[in-house]
Amino acid sequence: MRWCLALLICCLAVVNALSSSGSRLLAILEDTEQKDLYSTLWADLEARGYDVSIESSKSEQLALFKHGERAYDHLLILPPKSKGLGPSLTPKHILDFMNKDGNILLALSGKTATSSAISSLLLELDIHLSTDRSQVVVDHFNYDTLSAAEKHDVLVLQRPGPLRSDVKAFFDGEGVLALPRVAPQTLGDSALLSPILRAPATAYSYNPKEGMPAAEDILATGSQLNIVSAMQARNSARFTVLGSVESLEDKWFSASVKTPSGKKTSTVNREFAKQLTAWAFKETGVLKVDKVEHRLATEGAELNPSIYRIKNETIYSIEVSEYVYDKWVPFDVPGDDALQLEFTMLSPFHRLTLQPTHRTDTSTVFSTQFVTPDQHGIFSFRVNYKRPFLTSIEEKHEVTNRHFAHDEYPRSWAITGGWVWIAGLWSVIGGFLAFVIVWLYSAPVTDTLKKTQ
Amino acid sequence: MAPKRHAASTTSAAPSTPTPAPTTPKLSSGPATLKTNASAAEIAGHVWQQYASTTPQRTLLLDAFMAFLVLVGGLQFVYCVLAGNYPFNAFLSGFSAAVGQFVLTASLRMQTSDSEQGTGTSHERAFADYIFGSLILHFFCVNFIN
Amino acid sequence: MAPSSLDVVLKGSSGRNTRGLLRVIILCTIAAAAVSSRLFSVIRFESIIHEFDPWFNFRATKYLVENGFYSFWDWFDDRTWHPLGRVTGGTLYPGLMVTSGVIYHILRLLTIPVDIRNICVLLAPGFSGLTALAMYLLTSEMSDSPSAGLLAAAFMGITPGYISRSVAGSYDNEAIAIFLLVFTFYLWIKAVKNGSIMWGALTALFYGYMVSAWGGYVFITNLIPLHVFVLLCMGRYSTRVYISYTTWYALGTLGSMQIPFVGFLPIRNSDHMSALGVFGLIQLVAFAEFIRGYLPGKQFQKLLTSMVLLTFGLGFGGLVLLSVSGVIAPWSGRFYSLWDTGYAKIHIPIIASVSEHQPTAWPAFFFDLNFLIWLFPAGVFMCFQKLKDEHVFVVIYSVLASYFAGVMVRLMLTLTPIVCVAAALALSCILDNFLVASTPSTETKAKATTEDKSLRSARNPVVGIYSWFSKSVVVASVTLYLLMFVAHCTWVTSNAYSSPSVVLASKLPDGSQFIIDDYREAYYWLRQNTPDNAKIMSWWDYGYQIGGMADRPTLVDNNTWNNTHIATVGKAMSSREEVSYPILRQHDVDYVLVVFGGLLGYSGDDLNKFLWMVRIAEGIWPDEVKERDFFTARGEYRVDEEATPAMKNSLMYKMSYHNYQSLFPAGQAMDRVRGTRLPKESPQLNTLEEAFTSENWIVRLYKVKDLDNLGRDHSNAVAFDKGLKRKRATKRKGPRVLRTE
Repeated sequence: MRWCLALLICCLAVVNALSSSGSRLLAILEDTEQKDLYSTLWADLEARGYDVSIESSKSEQLALFKHGERAYDHLLILPPKSKGLGPSLTPKHILDFMNKDGNILLALSGKTATSSAISSLLLELDIHLSTDRSQVVVDHFNYDTLSAAEKHDVLVLQRPGPLRSDVKAFFDGEGVLALPRVAPQTLGDSALLSPILRAPATAYSYNPKEGMPAAEDILATGSQLNIVSAMQARNSARFTVLGSVESLEDKWFSASVKTPSGKKTSTVNREFAKQLTAWAFKETGVLKVDKVEHRLATEGAELNPSIYRIKNETIYSIEVSEYVYDKWVPFDVPGDDALQLEFTMLSPFHRLTLQPTHRTDTSTVFSTQFVTPDQHGIFSFRVNYKRPFLTSIEEKHEVTNRHFAHDEYPRSWAITGGWVWIAGLWSVIGGFLAFVIVWLYSAPVTDTLKKTQ
Repeated sequence: MAPKRHAASTTSAAPSTPTPAPTTPKLSSGPATLKTNASAAEIAGHVWQQYASTTPQRTLLLDAFMAFLVLVGGLQFVYCVLAGNYPFNAFLSGFSAAVGQFVLTASLRMQTSDSEQGTGTSHERAFADYIFGSLILHFFCVNFIN
Repeated sequence: MAPSSLDVVLKGSSGRNTRGLLRVIILCTIAAAAVSSRLFSVIRFESIIHEFDPWFNFRATKYLVENGFYSFWDWFDDRTWHPLGRVTGGTLYPGLMVTSGVIYHILRLLTIPVDIRNICVLLAPGFSGLTALAMYLLTSEMSDSPSAGLLAAAFMGITPGYISRSVAGSYDNEAIAIFLLVFTFYLWIKAVKNGSIMWGALTALFYGYMVSAWGGYVFITNLIPLHVFVLLCMGRYSTRVYISYTTWYALGTLGSMQIPFVGFLPIRNSDHMSALGVFGLIQLVAFAEFIRGYLPGKQFQKLLTSMVLLTFGLGFGGLVLLSVSGVIAPWSGRFYSLWDTGYAKIHIPIIASVSEHQPTAWPAFFFDLNFLIWLFPAGVFMCFQKLKDEHVFVVIYSVLASYFAGVMVRLMLTLTPIVCVAAALALSCILDNFLVASTPSTETKAKATTEDKSLRSARNPVVGIYSWFSKSVVVASVTLYLLMFVAHCTWVTSNAYSSPSVVLASKLPDGSQFIIDDYREAYYWLRQNTPDNAKIMSWWDYGYQIGGMADRPTLVDNNTWNNTHIATVGKAMSSREEVSYPILRQHDVDYVLVVFGGLLGYSGDDLNKFLWMVRIAEGIWPDEVKERDFFTARGEYRVDEEATPAMKNSLMYKMSYHNYQSLFPAGQAMDRVRGTRLPKESPQLNTLEEAFTSENWIVRLYKVKDLDNLGRDHSNAVAFDKGLKRKRATKRKGPRVLRTE
């Protein structure tokens, strides 16, 4: 029926983004009446193709897993007022959710104290909150004079640029963000953590009820404080911590702010929320390896053999795509970064940069050519590409590097140094043959020797 | 004067010397005699004289072949010393062929040089054994030289 | 008097035929007895390859049979010594596998398809029958008495010294090597006696076959030159000696160099230098004899002495120079340790740790040889009576083999043939003298002045025995000894040498048999439940069995060619988990196998071998692994509460006792091998998880955990899973460490 088809086409037209890892989104609010505060957010998410279910953390039917599998693909947790997140959202459940490739966006608030369950959960991920868990970030130079003239706890910041020169920027752009009552986080040493938005150098945190802490209890100051942090697990599941839940509210999506030194402008919180949720729920920054091929450099060589020989010319190629909002595009290595191949046995024997050789519609093919080392053993082709904000590429293909077979050495007549001995050998054999012939024709030794000579 | 053979010989019952010890003394009284305090050169000359006059033709043929083998082996060894021994297996193969053939030929000489059938085998049998051994030697050498 | 019917059979040419036929029948019976006495384990258990080394040979034979000879020759084994691999085609002795492969193909050609496993299991008994035959031939060359050969064949067929390495299922190099050893010696004796190039060439060919079969060929390489050298020293130079030795040396050395594993060793290694030296010496002696024919006595003496001094000086100096400059490698460790018995324990602990390399205890001689051991010196003495060239050989072989058998238990095997020969000579002499029905005649003046080369003291004329009483007593006692010998051999074979050692058998208190099949249970679990390429780390003892039965890649195995790799495994086993885990990750280890005998009282487990692991690791990393750390302050090696922290935290300890306490009521866990009570709490394993434990807890398998998904330390991850709250990092004193990107 045509109206069904029309409806389908309409729905498809509306969808202009989709997560690469599923569309079931669960939003946890303690008090589901509050969902109207974030109505624009839900609308945006649904417009991008998510099935948003909003549940209360105290609800009994809430279950993250069904029959051992995840019931939802993504989790958006808004901070509860009570002690914990409920019986079905214990830290163990949440970490299991991540271990099963689920993505989580956790929002914190500086208005209320964060529960200790959340704090210990974050500690497992090496994200540290303040010891009293109820601090708020304050900056006397970058605050909104319109709404927080005395408390200075509404930060007005630019969107962050690229983290490093070799990292692509996913959250940049024009405009300012308003971040009211940020709960600060600091990051530990883990390599899986990356800061998305750091507090400016002039920021610090304090407990509104108890004032400034003692000098040695200060969590951190300045840009060591993180407002938005990201943690990407080894299976590329993403856990994002947003320090200010109020920045997602409708009223802050299109508020007007004015810094002490600037003009009155409108916030771009909505854009930032889109970028943040897109990254957190794997619409951006997702890499995929389509194909890995390695073969000898000769024509018509077999693809992906399991045995190579030492000193063989070998070609390795890997095809990588990147997912941008709703489609796969060829992946370009950002800036001065390099995608490297390691040919390893216990430690790398070769470490080569993979050059992009050609592009298809959806992927780039990187390849390189090299000579297998002069050491026999079991080697592996390893591509280990782990960068902030990109899912990790970890490819390992084991091959055997064998020694020369007995007939692959140069033959002795090909070695000029050996001709003398070859000549010697054949002259011995020739002399032997001549000797045998002459012997057979010569007279045998007789009794009387006087007859000889 | 024929060289005396030691009366109480501690060697085996079969005659051990490869030379045809003549049972009759030489008739001529040429320079065959040797004084007891002769110099080394005279000793060597005397040995050569005896050798040239008493060995049968077949044995001379054997000796010629052995001399050829010594030459070939020596040349290879000198080349190895001068120009290095890469590839080593080729050097071993060529040199061992010369040495092995020399040794086999010397064994054949011991078995066939005197008509008394030195070790109890007939000359034909000795020669057949010789060919058998030589073929094995050549097979190993050709395989080894690659 | 008309000849009686018995005379027809027993005398004259038909008598010779009868005796010949009788000999053949007896030899066939001996071969059958030899084969059947080695079949105990096949009948009691099943047709299975035994022990450790045969599993590798079996795997190599399967590869050869499936892939053909050239693939085998070029085989690069990527399923052992991960990740280094092993160039197996060039580092093994191919003789055994090629022999089995040839037999396999011949049988298939005759349309008798026998499974390769059965061929491998039954190869050793088959060749033992041939060995008995070769012994008959060898001993017949030594003595004219017809009974000597048959007695020697019978002794060799059933003596436990040889059976220990040639039961059905013991598919090891010695299975064919001993046959080749005896046969090569037979051909050598024939060559020396006949002085023909053909026998010398045959000796060389079989010597080449022996080189391809066993590393112990060095014994022949040194015994034959020693024989020739002693003959030269005794003044017994003859053309026969020259012909046989030079032919053997030239062809044999060339033949041995064709084996890739031997390569250039005959030219480079000290083990082979004596053969080269004697070769040179015999050329000089031959040349000297040649010249002697042309010169009168005195001149010859002068020439001779000057030449001898010159060449000896040059030769010796050259040898020393080459050894010092390193062109000639010194004695290889294995053989050097035979001379300096304390060398291996300090410098090469791997060699010292093998139980077969320990010195022989004296009861072992009686256990393996029974009454042959006291007939042996008598037989050697009898060789002095005749003292022809071949008897010199027997004397030298006896002396050399006796020394080596005293130094290393494993070398009892090389002593056994000559003991059988000498004992057979002695016994046949006794029987020939005492078992004659007729009275002897008294012609004592018969041999007075014939060329007697024997000892002056042994030159008494032999007459004969008159009295019936002494004849019957001696014959009866000899018969009794022989019967006891057979009973002893069969008993020893049945009880001591027929255990497959893959399957253990013991007796329950009520006498019924209790089979312990844990090894195969664990290996088959591995085979059926792990991915094809899962890498297994275990101590090197079990490497071949894992490769053969579980068919999985291993890290180290019984070949022990790479000491550093074994030391790496030893370090991983003896260090704490934080140190072992990176080693396991770097080597791509998926499973760890450990043998634990505490529940049953099985004393061959890894905790008893643990100090060897520590020692070997300490040899490479003396700063990180220290043997002293595993002994208590009082110097004891303990595993209970008083064990040192290094011991309690070591991976081996944790793997052995993980969850062991759950088998017992609280606090009463008992280790039956060490005989101690264990601490109440089971050790905590963070980086491994238990994958499989066999029925009697003998073999335990652990899976190596992947890195934690959230980047945590494994101990923290385990603590979180248990529900312990993680404490905040303690406040650091001093300046803060800031995070940078």
